[in-house]
Amino acid sequence: MVEVSQHTLVPEHRLVDDDEIDALLAEYDISRTDLPKIKRTDPALPDEAATGDVVRIERDSRTTDRAVVHRLVIE
Amino acid sequence: MSTNATPKEIGAIDFGLMNPEEYRDMSATKIITADTYDDDGYPIDMGLMDPRLGVIDPGLECKTCGQHSGSCNGHFGHIELAAPVIHVGFTKLIRRLLRGTCRECSRLLLDEHERDEFAERLQRARDLDDDVNDVTKAAIRQARKADRCPYCGEEQYDVQHEKPTTYYEVQDVLAAEYPQLIAEAMQPDEEEDRPATSPQELADATDIELSRINDILGGEFRPREESREAIERALDVDLSEEDLNKLMPSDIRDWFEAIPDEDVEVLGINAERSRPEWMILTVLPVPPVTARPSITLDNGQRSEDDLTHKLVDIIRINQRFMENREAGAPQLIIEDLWELLQYHVTTFMDNEISGTPPARHRSGRPLKTLSQRLKGKEGRFRGSLSGKRVNFSARTVISPDPTLSLNEVGVPERVAREMTQTMNVNEQNIEEARQYVRNGSEAHPGANRVIRPDGKVMKILDQAKEELAERIEPGWQVQRHLSDGDIVIFNRQPSLHRMSIMAHEVVVMPYKTFRLNTTVCPPYNADFDGDEMNMHALQNEEARAEARVLMRVQEQILSPRFGENIIGAIQDHVSGTYLLTHDDPEMGGLPRFNETQALDLLRATGVDTLPDDDGTDEQGRPYWTGRTIFSELLPSALDLEFTSSTGDRVAIDDGALVEGTIDEDAVGAFGGEIVDTIVKQYSETRARVFINEVASLAMRAIMHFGFSIGIDDESISDAAEAQIDESMENAYERVQELIDTYENDDLESLPGRTVDETLEMKIMQTLGKARDSAGDIADEHFDDDNPAVIMAESGARGSMLNLTQMAACVGQQAVRGERINRGYEDRTLSHFKPGDLSAEAHGFVEDSYRSGLTPREFFFHAMGGREGLVDTAVRTSKSGYLQRRLINALSELETQYDGTVRDTSDNIVQFEFGEDNTSPVKVSSSDDNEIDVDEIADRVLAAEFEDEGEEFAGAQATNLSESADDRMDRDRPSSPIDVPEVGDD
Repeated sequence: MVEVSQHTLVPEHRLVDDDEIDALLAEYDISRTDLPKIKRTDPALPDEAATGDVVRIERDSRTTDRAVVHRLVIE
Repeated sequence: MSTNATPKEIGAIDFGLMNPEEYRDMSATKIITADTYDDDGYPIDMGLMDPRLGVIDPGLECKTCGQHSGSCNGHFGHIELAAPVIHVGFTKLIRRLLRGTCRECSRLLLDEHERDEFAERLQRARDLDDDVNDVTKAAIRQARKADRCPYCGEEQYDVQHEKPTTYYEVQDVLAAEYPQLIAEAMQPDEEEDRPATSPQELADATDIELSRINDILGGEFRPREESREAIERALDVDLSEEDLNKLMPSDIRDWFEAIPDEDVEVLGINAERSRPEWMILTVLPVPPVTARPSITLDNGQRSEDDLTHKLVDIIRINQRFMENREAGAPQLIIEDLWELLQYHVTTFMDNEISGTPPARHRSGRPLKTLSQRLKGKEGRFRGSLSGKRVNFSARTVISPDPTLSLNEVGVPERVAREMTQTMNVNEQNIEEARQYVRNGSEAHPGANRVIRPDGKVMKILDQAKEELAERIEPGWQVQRHLSDGDIVIFNRQPSLHRMSIMAHEVVVMPYKTFRLNTTVCPPYNADFDGDEMNMHALQNEEARAEARVLMRVQEQILSPRFGENIIGAIQDHVSGTYLLTHDDPEMGGLPRFNETQALDLLRATGVDTLPDDDGTDEQGRPYWTGRTIFSELLPSALDLEFTSSTGDRVAIDDGALVEGTIDEDAVGAFGGEIVDTIVKQYSETRARVFINEVASLAMRAIMHFGFSIGIDDESISDAAEAQIDESMENAYERVQELIDTYENDDLESLPGRTVDETLEMKIMQTLGKARDSAGDIADEHFDDDNPAVIMAESGARGSMLNLTQMAACVGQQAVRGERINRGYEDRTLSHFKPGDLSAEAHGFVEDSYRSGLTPREFFFHAMGGREGLVDTAVRTSKSGYLQRRLINALSELETQYDGTVRDTSDNIVQFEFGEDNTSPVKVSSSDDNEIDVDEIADRVLAAEFEDEGEEFAGAQATNLSESADDRMDRDRPSSPIDVPEVGDD
């Protein structure tokens, strides 16, 4: 089996702990469900990700060096 | 809007069902008679045209609100239905509710645990913006599985829906011929090896008394549920039969009334706003007469609206229903009338229901009822709301006018006289206003109407204009003609990007076309082969200010698509600047101009004094070079260095062009370096002036040199012709060699290709090279002053490939990326032998456009050309639709003040706009994409310490609008505030 998360083109997906989520939600004054979504079945997700978790994706960007996105894991 | 009406703000819109009590409350009157007008032509009280429902005849007063026709919107009435009927719009939802709730206690057929689970899923679907219907459908599916109600234990039956508005319960009942069925089952069956059953045995097996059994067998007693099941078990027979039990609307209403609020919530219905029983109508709202006006025909007869006809039908049946019921008519007749009432109410709302014959007019035309008014292309939404016709708009053919500023639009006087701007008269402008009125509506800067302070509108007629002018006082309004300097919105379809709609300043002109500066063709994608454009005159100060600040052409010079200028020099402008600034030793170096010529070149620009001369000629007269003249247009402190597409270095030092030729990369639309830099470092106004002046100078220059192209400009010498022929000969030989090798089976296939494909590829390659070498030979022959070469080199129009095709060889024609292979069996045309693989048999055009094509070549060329034509046609429609869908998907996204990009339901799409919070038009567009902080700092500091006494030359207008802006400063970079944004890091 190929481990897609190891591929150079797949950006880092990291699970975010609750404190960090709270800070994030407070910063933008949003609820979890307002975040962009990612499917639980997405192969790029870490195995332990469960529905309702938030992942932090840090990817290379054409305009900035690094772009950070948070996504809510849905079923 | 009338002036005395208070504008109201819409706080919220609720969609839901309406409580019948609310209908009755808001109803102006109950309608009981189907008649409309009495013999004298007056509307009948409590009839369909009751004066309380509003007024349509001018002069009459509304009995409800007291207003006259025009200001009274009309008022709803109501009809009390004799019996409840089903609302066609909700048949699916009614079916769902019938299937999902208990027939006895009306509760949702889910136990508390399941119910809570679905309620939770529903909430989640709402939070995640998923389809709520998926959850409610699943809940109904689950509820249907229950055989008995989890609360009252009642057995549940399946509900059948017969479209459009009939519902049945499917019940199992005792079959009519049960005695026969039982007797048959008691007979011995030899095939199945079953012995006969005696009544005694049956009685023992079923615990039923023998006498009962005998009664049952005799058909005198119908066994009850338990006994029936016992007999069925004992004899292994099925005694049941399906029976359809029709559910009357009144039954359904009773059923729904008992559904608890909490239960409908799980089905996505807010019970507070929409009780399910409201889907069964007991009272019908009657639309106001203003929604169904009757027309008086020429012969004085009244013709009623389709809706009125339908309402007449409903009231007639409603009355008959009531009369029959009161008279105690048999159930069958009552049911028939009920169905008829249902039909009329159904078709009143929707007359295009499948399975129901549409209600027709006497003439046989189907009636246009409520749903038909809204649906479809001509319906209220697509036809009347999205597709509104607008006032104050004009459309005509466009044509070019290089003397206009790019900010301007030439408006024909006829259009200007039709379109008006409202002038609020006060002490300052009263004389001006009177003059407009005195001029009347026929002369150009005139006026069409005046409005008195009390709101009365008066047309300005030729006879009364003088008199009217004297009556004008402050506080009046004058609708004057559109005139020079007004701002209007200009648009060309398809409006694919925001630069398709820009604001222009009006210049009123004779003749009948809109005139525009040629430099605004790229953003509109316009040309002058018959294109038409639309103009909209703005009608209030706010709109005019907004248009001037945000939408004026000069504010759109930079395209948000790629962050560089989309407006700049095009076509002849580029050729002109190229000729003016090109240093070609063969053509006598840089072009030189004497004083008269130099002044003539700069005549249409804001430059009115010549710079120091560049030297003197043999007679001692001073001369100026083209570069010096071009430099006059540049801001005096501009420093810039870049490489043009031809690879030449272009250097501008302190506002002087010291090296390089100005071509498309310098001043052209789509990313001309100098234009781009001026917008970013100076201002939009400076860039507008620059583009205007470059265009004027270039036109003067190209007229000075003279620029034309003819057939002789593509002809080449006999020597070159011979050379080309020779190289063609060589190519043919090589192709023949390839074919020979192939036919001898000696051709080695390329990796991943068959031998056939390899041969095709190699032939194509060889012929491609042949054309290129022919082109090279021709190129060598052409001088640098050849017009086609100048245009290709400067980027004005055309390419060297075009020139090659004109002068040397058109080359291989292709269909679907291959040489031409279609036509007859094994050959393309009957001129060739079958299996001929040669170049000329498969669409190679050896001739040039100038020399002319042979008939066969022409035919192949047409094949290739047709494919190109079809391709573009298909591509534009495909990509247009794709773009439309993309725009519809993205149009609601908005950048918020916190920097996030969100959709309308506040979902975050991007945490930072474009991941870097940077607007493409504000960012430096130099190739390495680096921001030169030192350079910006120097510029800001210089601006800070610059002495302000300097008077700059040429700030005054070249065109009308050029003087209309105080931001214009020829030579000073923009203030620190306008410095392009650098970003945080």
